[in-house]
Amino acid sequence: MPAVPDLERLYDEHAQALFAFLLNFTRDENDTRDLLQEIFTRLARESQLLRDARDERAFLIRLAHNSAIDLMRRRGTRQKYHDQFAEQLCSIFAADENPDVTAFRESLSRALAELPADQRVVVHLKLWENLTFDQIATALDISPNTAASRYRYGIDKMRERLRPLYEEIK
Amino acid sequence: MNPDEFEKRLQRQPLRQIPGEWRQEILKGATSIRHSSPVTRHSFLTTLNHQLSTIFWPNPKAWAGLAAVWVVIFALHFGARDSAPILATVSSPSETVAALKDQQKILAELIGTAEPRELEKPRRLPAQPHSERRTLTSMA
Repeated sequence: MPAVPDLERLYDEHAQALFAFLLNFTRDENDTRDLLQEIFTRLARESQLLRDARDERAFLIRLAHNSAIDLMRRRGTRQKYHDQFAEQLCSIFAADENPDVTAFRESLSRALAELPADQRVVVHLKLWENLTFDQIATALDISPNTAASRYRYGIDKMRERLRPLYEEIK
Repeated sequence: MNPDEFEKRLQRQPLRQIPGEWRQEILKGATSIRHSSPVTRHSFLTTLNHQLSTIFWPNPKAWAGLAAVWVVIFALHFGARDSAPILATVSSPSETVAALKDQQKILAELIGTAEPRELEKPRRLPAQPHSERRTLTSMA
């Protein structure tokens, strides 16, 4: 690992994943932008940050998660933030020309937003980052069993929430 | 754990792409700070505050409530401890006995007897056969 991190390489390899993760967590594009800036600024400033990281992606996700939690703390209580989520509809999925697909993605985005943040991040990392529960546990500093149970709870809630729409378009 | 059809369907939904213009802005912002600002050193108190905030963050109100309960418990405990010696002196057994004896003496003086009467204890007859006891009773 070089003494000064190659920011461009880090950005090209990880920024998309961090963007999706943070957007799913914060549900706000401006916050996501600010957090990404904060992460890359920190990487630039603290050159030794990635020196001991075995898995860059997992380390950066952990960094992003901690930064997002700090942001929530600065904003106020978690519940207040959840109420704010409920009012916003910031889809984390790509748009599609097919209205049925768009409707499903919007519902999916809403269902994700309704999950507690603990479950939402695990579901995100499992489904869209393809991380194992061990990797998720390392990234979020929780046990693999906790990661697995949070995932199961989250998926069950989403299945229940999306069942009518899912049955319709299956 | 194998994902079921529902999970596979969710996985197939493409996520939004990061806006292209962000790359230049974010990298520019990061590198400009790398060249301009020195590393900030956190004081001990800042670090402590940060660590405590991290620990207490999930339910700060619950922790505050718990702390308040402990304060009340300590207050009650110390309040009770201050009054405990007073109660102890009042309820000392030797003093209570002395006070009772005084009262008994005064009562005896008022009634007229020099010494308070001892409580009559039941007379105990010497051990005798039941038949003899019955004879004594009938004679009386």
